[in-house]
Amino acid sequence: MRWLLAALALLILTFSVGVETASGIDDPTLRTRTTVLDNGLTILTLEDPATPVVSFQMWVRVGSGDESRFTGLAHLFEHMMFRGSKNLPPEAHGRIITQRGGRVNAYTSRDVTVYFADMTAEHLPMLIELEAERLENLDISEESLASEREVVLEERRMRTEDSPKGRAFEALTALTFQAHPYRAPTIGWRSDVEKVGVDDCLEFFRTFYAPDNLVIAIAGDFEADLAIAQIERHMGSLDPAREIPRNPTTEPEQDGERRSMVHFEVRGPLLSIAWHAPPTGHRDAEALDVASEILSSGRTSRLYRRLVYDQPKALFASGGYWELHRAGLFYAMAGVRPGESVEEVEELFLGEIARLREEPVDAQELEKAKRSLEVSLLGSLQTSHALASRIAHDYTAFGRIRPLDERLGAIRSVTAEDVQRIARTYLVPEKRSIVWVVPPTPATGEEAP
Amino acid sequence: MSSRAVALSLLAVLLGCAWLPRTPAWEKPPPPVRDAPVVDAARLHRGELPNGMRVLVLEDPRLPQIEIGVVARRGAGLAAPEQAGLADFTAELMERGAGDRNALELAAVVDNLGASLRVAADWDSVAVGASGLSRDLDTLFAVLEEVVRRPRFDPDEAERVRAEQLARLEKAKDSPQVLASRSFQAVLYPDHPYGLPLAGTPETVTRLGPSDARDFHARVFAARNTLFFATGDLQATDIMRRVAEAFGDWPAGGVPEPGSPPPASAPAERRIVVVDRPDLGQAQIVVGHEGISRTDPERLSAGLMNTVLGGGGFSSRLMKSVRAEAGLTYSIYSHFSMRRHPGPFAVLTFTRVPEVRRVVDLVLAELSRVRSDPPSPEEVANAQSQTVGQFALGLETSSAVAGALVDLDVHGLPEDSLDTVRGRLRALSAEDTARVARELVHPERAAILVVGPADAIVPQLEHLGAVEVVEP
Repeated sequence: MRWLLAALALLILTFSVGVETASGIDDPTLRTRTTVLDNGLTILTLEDPATPVVSFQMWVRVGSGDESRFTGLAHLFEHMMFRGSKNLPPEAHGRIITQRGGRVNAYTSRDVTVYFADMTAEHLPMLIELEAERLENLDISEESLASEREVVLEERRMRTEDSPKGRAFEALTALTFQAHPYRAPTIGWRSDVEKVGVDDCLEFFRTFYAPDNLVIAIAGDFEADLAIAQIERHMGSLDPAREIPRNPTTEPEQDGERRSMVHFEVRGPLLSIAWHAPPTGHRDAEALDVASEILSSGRTSRLYRRLVYDQPKALFASGGYWELHRAGLFYAMAGVRPGESVEEVEELFLGEIARLREEPVDAQELEKAKRSLEVSLLGSLQTSHALASRIAHDYTAFGRIRPLDERLGAIRSVTAEDVQRIARTYLVPEKRSIVWVVPPTPATGEEAP
Repeated sequence: MSSRAVALSLLAVLLGCAWLPRTPAWEKPPPPVRDAPVVDAARLHRGELPNGMRVLVLEDPRLPQIEIGVVARRGAGLAAPEQAGLADFTAELMERGAGDRNALELAAVVDNLGASLRVAADWDSVAVGASGLSRDLDTLFAVLEEVVRRPRFDPDEAERVRAEQLARLEKAKDSPQVLASRSFQAVLYPDHPYGLPLAGTPETVTRLGPSDARDFHARVFAARNTLFFATGDLQATDIMRRVAEAFGDWPAGGVPEPGSPPPASAPAERRIVVVDRPDLGQAQIVVGHEGISRTDPERLSAGLMNTVLGGGGFSSRLMKSVRAEAGLTYSIYSHFSMRRHPGPFAVLTFTRVPEVRRVVDLVLAELSRVRSDPPSPEEVANAQSQTVGQFALGLETSSAVAGALVDLDVHGLPEDSLDTVRGRLRALSAEDTARVARELVHPERAAILVVGPADAIVPQLEHLGAVEVVEP
């Protein structure tokens, strides 16, 4: 084996960094090693002997934001990755991992498609072979696509069509983004999902599942050298794409409030609001996170106090920064109590947003918000799965892994003026979109103010 | 192995397998699994105060975080049906003021630390938990003690909580899934507390007041009925001392008798109920009947059988037949709700409205098949390795291990269960799973509950018996 490793060392670029931290917290992600194979496949390895679990994740740099003809194709294709390959029948991939005690699944977002398996360490070689098998030998038949399409349409009914929150979210993103491909739901519009064919899936696969568009992240108790060598052996000969097509559209500046209404049989109406915000990694990100905490975190948060406690018109109310690779939203939602007016809830809600713009937050609120962000940051380091997700997310979004200290430092440096500034920059009336989900009123219809 | 095979293997090793057909890893026998101890004995400390309160500390210095709590070994199962929702009501009120601090003052102490405080009631327990940074142990410990021993039950807060609980009950009907599971419970247990939601009903919640909560708290929170637990970056000796100081003078109290068990057969004969939601395009489906208790001697066999039937995700029979082969649903699973008394055994899924009949028929067919064609030795072996592997995944963090140890204590199960369970699972055979399939699965009298447009659904179920239609 040693000669093989030596040979690999010549082929691949490997680097790693130390673990010193200013905060004194052992930041495990600093031990991440980044390896890029000749064909562009990136491998992130993070050895952590403290846990018996290994998380193996493949992040594909393609999400619904990359779709051009059929919306929902990235997600439907994610399902098809479980529907068999040359040497494995449909569903065998998931079944084999599950039956050997693993947890296996996948998800698609606007920006990425992620496949993961968490297992005890001795199974890692098999996980690598299973991933290589479907990358090399994926098989999509008319029959398996027809059946999986129905599964996805059931998922769409469950998550969106029969769900008040799903309906609100779908309507709100389509209203907020008028040009950007983020406007389409990741699960796709029904008509598109119904029409995607085998050839569309195969073309999508060839275009986006090239090794230079993939990042593999492994965290847990395993030997990185062995895993990297094995990945090189099984995936090193996949052909790179060199160029991945990306949608060019950016969202034009919004120049006035937008409103939309969804009629649905609800007892408790929903209010949802979005403002355009910068993409992930922007210098205002931490201030937007602090604003989210001040509005939404805990019983002392402003929205809870105003809408749930002092004037009990809602059952929940929160807002938070949703950061995507190419754009962002500040996204908020309130669940109106049955019998209460969505109009009044909206007025109170927007009053709290105006307050953020008009007066600086007080020192204690600011400290509380920062503390809460720090605690949740620490909480995200506990499992192999969380660690692998964290390094893969950072790498796909920023091309590097942001040290914990850098994040903590950025959070700690947010001032009351920063919070007021971001509220005045982003959370302004002319850049907001508002959706109500209310019961149908056949007689007159309900009008937004 | 023949000498020829040995020679070939040797050759393969020498030549790095270059030109011999390679066996994929998934076709080889699974590698031997390392059964490391779940609980590191050096980090786990147990103790008991003279008043009977038990203490469990699991040290884990890896991150500067802690989680501490007090769990009472009785919960909603104690409340009479006319007081349904009382445990939830009490738990929520305990978060809203304790000792000298009113609701907002208490919340401010916790929020200022970026910490969290949660009181949660279940059928068999009420748990008070606080988590945050280890440097805030003093404050969090003081808050925990106050909330456990001196909740205020302020009347104005009780009024708020009641209004919130009532609004939530009404709003819960907006969720087809919640509507389905609550309606299913009601069909199974019309005359037992298990038939009513943990959150209660509008009729029962309207009547709840602060004195009810105070009485319930006094019944369940007493030293002999509680367990203190702590995990994270802390020292056991320090915690033991703090617990003795804070709870040593707490009256021992008694351990309340658990409420009465539900009927042995629920339902006694088939019931088919449709909850009418004309606006839905997808029907929620629940099929099932009574299950077994958390301490049932057959619980591991039942768990393995259920893994094969519908608990095993991608590998289960129900998933294969209803999702993978027929494309009729996105999700289908079966489970035993194991409580102090037997809770429901249920299959839960959903499908487009015109396909309700096919799905219900397929579910009933799989329930029959698990009896007539019980899990094969190979299926059982797969279910065993799946259960053992996922057991390890579920206990990756100290917080999860502490939670599992607390659960054993609540149900009076042996303290070493986490370390013995893998061996006990592996000792089971296909005879065991066949036996529990015959004894515990009853498709002929299973209740069938569907939420969706009654007009379109009723005709699809009439071949199975009389269909009742109810409003949400």
